[in-house]
Amino acid sequence: MRVLVVEDHPRLAATVATVLRREGMAVDVVFDGREALDRAALITYDVVVLDRDIPGVHGDEVCRSLIATGSRTGVLMLTAAGTLEDRVEGLGIGADDYLSKPFHIAELVARIRALARRSAPGLPPILAHGDLVLDSARRVVSRGGRSISLSPKEFAVLELLLSAQGAVLSTEQILQRAWDDATDPFTNTVRMTVSRLRAKLGDPPVVETVAPVGYRIGGTA
Amino acid sequence: MSRMAAAGGLAGRVRHPQTTVRWRLTLLYGALFLVSGAVLLTVTYVLVEHAAASRPPGGLSVKSAPVQTASPPPGRVLPDRLNQALSQLPRRITQVLRSPDGQVAIRIVGAKQRLADLHQLIVESSIALAIMALISAALGWLVAGRVLRPLRTMTVAAQQISEANLHERLALEGPRDELRQLADTIDRLLARLEAAFNAQRRFVANASHELRTPLTAARALLEMVLTDPRATLETFRTTCRQVLEESEEQEQLIEALLALAQGERGIDRRASLDLSVLVAEALPAYTANAAERGLALETSLAPVRVSGDRRLVERLVANLLENALRHNVPGGRIAVRVSGRGGEGELLVANTGPAVPAEAIERLLQPFQRLGDDRVGQREGFGLGLSIVAAIAGAHDAPLHVQPGADGGLEVRVQFPVSAEQSVADGGSGERWAGEEWAQGSRVPAHAQRAVGADLQPGSDDDVDGPILTGGDPADRPLDVTGDVERAPQQR
Repeated sequence: MRVLVVEDHPRLAATVATVLRREGMAVDVVFDGREALDRAALITYDVVVLDRDIPGVHGDEVCRSLIATGSRTGVLMLTAAGTLEDRVEGLGIGADDYLSKPFHIAELVARIRALARRSAPGLPPILAHGDLVLDSARRVVSRGGRSISLSPKEFAVLELLLSAQGAVLSTEQILQRAWDDATDPFTNTVRMTVSRLRAKLGDPPVVETVAPVGYRIGGTA
Repeated sequence: MSRMAAAGGLAGRVRHPQTTVRWRLTLLYGALFLVSGAVLLTVTYVLVEHAAASRPPGGLSVKSAPVQTASPPPGRVLPDRLNQALSQLPRRITQVLRSPDGQVAIRIVGAKQRLADLHQLIVESSIALAIMALISAALGWLVAGRVLRPLRTMTVAAQQISEANLHERLALEGPRDELRQLADTIDRLLARLEAAFNAQRRFVANASHELRTPLTAARALLEMVLTDPRATLETFRTTCRQVLEESEEQEQLIEALLALAQGERGIDRRASLDLSVLVAEALPAYTANAAERGLALETSLAPVRVSGDRRLVERLVANLLENALRHNVPGGRIAVRVSGRGGEGELLVANTGPAVPAEAIERLLQPFQRLGDDRVGQREGFGLGLSIVAAIAGAHDAPLHVQPGADGGLEVRVQFPVSAEQSVADGGSGERWAGEEWAQGSRVPAHAQRAVGADLQPGSDDDVDGPILTGGDPADRPLDVTGDVERAPQQR
C-alpha cells in the first residue's frame, strides 16, 4: 500500500511516516501542496494524508485537484481546525475522511487502512487463499492455523498479491506499491523479498513466478 | 439568546406609538396644521368684524309706515320725540333715514344678528378646520410612513445581520439623500467589521494550526516509541529529546503570541528610555551568531531618549535583529542605526537577504505570514516577528516604515516619539557611522519612492535617507527602491 503524507511540520511528517512504514506501508513525504500534486501525478497512491494548512497550494485545492483527476486515491484530511463546520466543509470538498489535530497515531493508521480498503472495492479485511489467511488490520498471517512472522515488506508484498486475487503483478507494480522513495531498492529487491516470503510460507508454494512478467498467487494451496 | 431578547425588546419599544418617529411626525403635522388653521381663523374673524363696522350699511332695513299724525303737521312734533327716541338707540347699529315725505326708515343692523353671523362663521370654520386637521394628520401619517420606509428597511436588514452573515449589506437604493448616506455609512462600517472579523478568524485558525501541530507531533512521537516493540533505550532518549524540542518551540510560540497580545493591548507604563543603550544591550546576543554566519554587523548608535515601555521596546528590537539575522544571505550585512532628529528617535534595522516583493510587505506585517518559499521543509519561525513589531510600534504611536532593501532583504524603521527630557535640537548631528561607506551614501531621489501603503508621503529630503545597504560602493550603484509601506499609528 502506498501512502503520500503531505504535512509541512517536518517532525510530525517524519513521525507519521515512520509509524506507517512500520505498519508495512510505503510512505512518501512532501511538505507543500505543489510538490504533493507533482507526486500524485507520477504515482497512484492508495491514500493521501493531507494537511489542510500547507504552503504552496492550499490543502483544499490539492484535495480538489486529486478528486478532479478521478483517481481512486482516498484522501484523508488533517487539520487543526476541528469545528463541526470545518469537518463538514472538508468532507464537502471531497475528502474521504477527516481527522483533526491532535490525533492518536493508531487512529490515523486504522483510518488509512479503512480508506485503502474502500478505494479497492470488494476486498474483505481478511484476505484468504486456501489455508493461508492474512488479517490486514491486525497484521497477522497464518497458514493452516500456524501463525507466520513476516517483515513489513514481506507482509506488504503478500497483501498485494492476495489483493490481486490471482492476477499477475509485475515487478514494477510491486515495487511501486510496496516500496517508497525513502528506500533505494535494487532491481532484485522484489525477487529477494518474494523468495524470503516463499520460504516463510512453506509448502505447498502459493506464490508463483510468471516469467518474465512478475508474480501471482496461485498453486494448489 | 440574549441578542434575540435585546432585538425583541428593541422591536417592542419601536412599536410603541408615542416613541415612533412616524407617530411624532404625524402629531407634528396635525398640530402645525391646527395652529396655522386657528391663526387663520382668528385673523379672518378680526378682519370680518372690522370690515363690518366700517362698511356702508347694508343688511336688514326696517321701514316704518308713514307717520300719521292728526294735528300737528308732520315733521314737527314727532321728529322731536322720534329724535329723542332715536338718540337713545346705539348709533353704531342704527341708521335713520328720513324721506322728504315724512317717512322715517330705521335701519337696524342688530347687534345680536351680527354676533350670530360671526358665531356661525366660527363654528363652521372650526368644524372645517377639525376635519382638515384630521385629514392632514392622516396624510401626515402616510407621508411620514413613506419617508421613513427606507429607515424601516434598514432597521430590519440591520437586525438580521449578525456575526454569521456579516457579508450582507443594507444596499439601500434610491436618491442620494440623508437616509441613503446613512445606509452607505452603515455599509462601510459593516465592511470594516467584516474585514476585522475575517482577520480575527484567520488569526484564530492560524494560531490553532501553529499550536496544535507541534502538540500532535509530540503526541505522535510518544505514541510511536511506545508502540514500537523493538524500541531501545536510545530510541526513547532520542524521542524524549525531540519532544522537548517540540515543547520548546511551543513555548516560544506562546511567548510570541503573548507579546503580540500585549503590543495590541497598548502600553501600561511609559518611561524615558535611551534607545541606543537598549539596542547596544541587545546586540551582543546576536553578534556571535552573525559572525558565525559571516554577516557583517554595522552599527551607528546616537543617544536619544524616547518614551516607551522598556520590555516592549526590547522585544521590538530583538525581533528586528532576529529577523535581520534569520532572513539573510551568507556574506550579507545587517545595519542597525539609532538617530534622533525632529522630535523622533529613529531605529533603523536593515539587512541583506532574499528579495522581498514590495506588495508582500503589507502581508508580512500580519500575524502568521511568511514569505512563501522559506517554509518548505524547514520552519523559519512562526511568522509573528514583524506583526509583533507592528503591534508594539502601534502601541507607542511610533510610525513604522518597512520597505524592501536595495539588495533584497528589508529595511525597517521605527520612529519613536522622543521623551520630554530629550533635546531635539541636535538634528541627527550625533550620528557616527561605523561603516564608512554608508555615511557617504547618496540620497534616494524622491521620485524613486513609490508608496504601496495607503498614505503616500511625498518624499521630501527629510523623509529620505541614503541607501542603507547596497552592494559595493553605494554612490555608483543605481538605486532600486521599489516600495515603501508606511504605517501611521492611527491606522492600526
